[in-house]
Amino acid sequence: MASYEEIRAAADRAWAPFADPKRTLIKVQDAMCSRSAGAAETLAAIREAVRSRNLDADVMVTGCMGLCYAEPVVEVLAPGAPSVYYQHLTAEKVPALIDAVAQQGIASGLALAVNADEGWGDIPPLDSLPFWRGQVRRLMDNCGVIDPENIDHYIARGGYEGLVKALAVGGEAVIKEVLESGLWGRGGAAFPTARKWEFLRGSDRHPKYMICNADEGDPGSFVNRNLLESDPHSTVEGIIIGGLASDADKGYVYIRDEYPLPVARVRLAVEQAREKGFLGENILGSGFNFEIEVIRGAGSYVCGEETGLIASLEDRRGMPKIKPPFPAQAGVFAQPSNVNNVESYASAPMIMREGAAWYASVGSEKHKGTKMFSLSGQIQRPGILEVPLGTPMSDLVIDAGGGPPEGRAIKAIQPGGPLSGIVPESDIGIPLEPDPFRDRGMFMGSGGLVVLDDTNCIVDLCVYFEWFAEDESCGRCTTCFAGTRRLLEILRRIASGRGRKADLELIRLLGDTMRNSNCVHGQAAPTSVMSMFRFFEDELLEHVERKRCPAKKCAGLIRYEVLHQSDRLSLAEAICPTGAVVNEGGTYRIDQEKCVKCDACREQAPYAIAIVDEFGP
Amino acid sequence: MFSQASHNSRLSAVGPVPGSTEIVTRVHELIADLRPDNVDLLEAFHRVQHEYGYIPREAIPLLAARFNTTPAIVFGTIDFYSELHTNPPADDVVEWCSGPACLLKGSLGIRRALEAVLGCAMNRATPDGKFELRLAQCDGTCHLAPLVRHKGKYIGPITSSQAIEWARALKGVPAAAAAEPPTDAAPSANGDGA
Repeated sequence: MASYEEIRAAADRAWAPFADPKRTLIKVQDAMCSRSAGAAETLAAIREAVRSRNLDADVMVTGCMGLCYAEPVVEVLAPGAPSVYYQHLTAEKVPALIDAVAQQGIASGLALAVNADEGWGDIPPLDSLPFWRGQVRRLMDNCGVIDPENIDHYIARGGYEGLVKALAVGGEAVIKEVLESGLWGRGGAAFPTARKWEFLRGSDRHPKYMICNADEGDPGSFVNRNLLESDPHSTVEGIIIGGLASDADKGYVYIRDEYPLPVARVRLAVEQAREKGFLGENILGSGFNFEIEVIRGAGSYVCGEETGLIASLEDRRGMPKIKPPFPAQAGVFAQPSNVNNVESYASAPMIMREGAAWYASVGSEKHKGTKMFSLSGQIQRPGILEVPLGTPMSDLVIDAGGGPPEGRAIKAIQPGGPLSGIVPESDIGIPLEPDPFRDRGMFMGSGGLVVLDDTNCIVDLCVYFEWFAEDESCGRCTTCFAGTRRLLEILRRIASGRGRKADLELIRLLGDTMRNSNCVHGQAAPTSVMSMFRFFEDELLEHVERKRCPAKKCAGLIRYEVLHQSDRLSLAEAICPTGAVVNEGGTYRIDQEKCVKCDACREQAPYAIAIVDEFGP
Repeated sequence: MFSQASHNSRLSAVGPVPGSTEIVTRVHELIADLRPDNVDLLEAFHRVQHEYGYIPREAIPLLAARFNTTPAIVFGTIDFYSELHTNPPADDVVEWCSGPACLLKGSLGIRRALEAVLGCAMNRATPDGKFELRLAQCDGTCHLAPLVRHKGKYIGPITSSQAIEWARALKGVPAAAAAEPPTDAAPSANGDGA
């Protein structure tokens, strides 16, 4: 078997042409978000153009650097020039790019940034981009840089060095190092990762299991997806290190069904790690044996709850179990098990490689290190970024994300999943770490920031959250499956204009009752509604007492009306899917019986048709 | 969903299985290397669904026998997961994203429009089995919100009007007379007929 030094030397040789290319290198960022914007077509077009024009250039695939707003992103490295990132590079723009590359030039009109200290003409340096400026990229260091399907690239950039160090010092020293680093679980519960490993180490019933929770079910969170498809080996290495620290025998990576590309890339990463001797029997001659298997989920939110995930692994409905026994006592198949989030595992290799002090050099007083966040919703620059814990939320939403679209104001932020609560605009500066959220009766959650602006309705959003919680309830606890159902009924009643004053008390009572559910799903299901009570009571009362939706979103409180006659009303008539825009001898009106409130007519004739309620337009 | 009668008859049918013998043979092959208590059931579901686009009723007793359990437990497990289907998909499946970013940007209007144009409710197929609307969970492609997916393609961001025209084209309804998109609408990032 090859030693790590030999593996590393071979990897360095394999990576060198990509790290410092001697001829033009075109890097196409290829992840689920890029593919949705057409990166696969871009890649095919670039390969075809390079081949047909016989260009002296290499084409490689990388993961995604998180600039969702600029997808598809392509980087071009030419010898003697700074590397240039191109944005929105769909297939039809490929000829223009290739023309520039063929002439050793830069397609300025398509460029986003240059990877240099100084700008290039009017192209800004990457570090000056608002989205990039405040980031501390540690977990994402390889994202968009290496080929996620090539283990040599990962190794050449320091990969599996942490594992080698961990094998040298042994499991107990690993636990000590990770404990010192101040790494807390990134999945939402914020429990010290090394403590969990210590619990598992304390049990001598084998086999013991290390489980990686990649069932990132929170709608609006997509940080784990980005990490797994852009740099799958960091998580794989982290699980092996955790396995060593806990004296475990096998690892499972449970990835949600909606993420096919991460499933494929992590499976490949596991195979490659096995080939190199980082997995299997007697890892790198240390005597430590460990295996990893990738499991694809089948679409269930509660499988993101650790005991639900364990039930799902046991060939059953993924219904969360009652604790105790805790997973460290009786987890998968009643054997000792440990469940950690993707980011928790992925942080372990760098802690072992660079040391606990280095890791703890950024972050807040209590929570060390960095965390990835995703931005979506009413925001100018949606994407994925990584910042130290404790960074003010406004830095991400306003500075990096650019705030809501021009002319609108932020109303609130959903910080991490539908069960996490709603942060009002007045609290936008709160530090991103668990405690300030807990103080406000909320959870920081998994890192998916979804931004609401003043065109959105809080009641409408709470109906969605409660629908989601009801739909995904496993059905074990009456407080949860019936509680979410009742809560949803009440909210829908309010949104349809039949809200009663007594409903407000009922909601509070339900919220208190649901907190007695077994798992966090039922306990946290009323969080958003409680946030609405606390921060948006005026808007809620407006719905209940005056039967008015200030944002004009709740379907039961609004109707569409023709206010002025206009030429564009014929377009509205043509688009209406239900024939509700009626032309009576040249005068248009809307048939309220037929109208489904899809908004298409108003899109066609925005000045003639308006949303009105009892109080006027 | 199965009718109650066929469900009950299957409970006693772990031995000879009604239905297609071809499916029985094929499912046997697909799950031959899987075993109970080895985290293999989800893999078995995926293999069968990959082959047929859904999990045929004939597969359920076979899965139960393979995993030392009852058809009821297997069916209950399939029913628990929203991405597993027990009915054949329609010829054309349109997936509507239910996520929060899409919601905030007007996906409810798109849903109502698609239901009206395609003529089926969410998670239902048209009576002729040609079209089906499916509720999809957020997969983090929120820069395209609001979006729908069709045959692996992402279509977004779209307005309700664009969704209506797209769905009409899918159904083969002649395009409405010169309905141009409103000036304040964002163009489709995909440019594939949205």
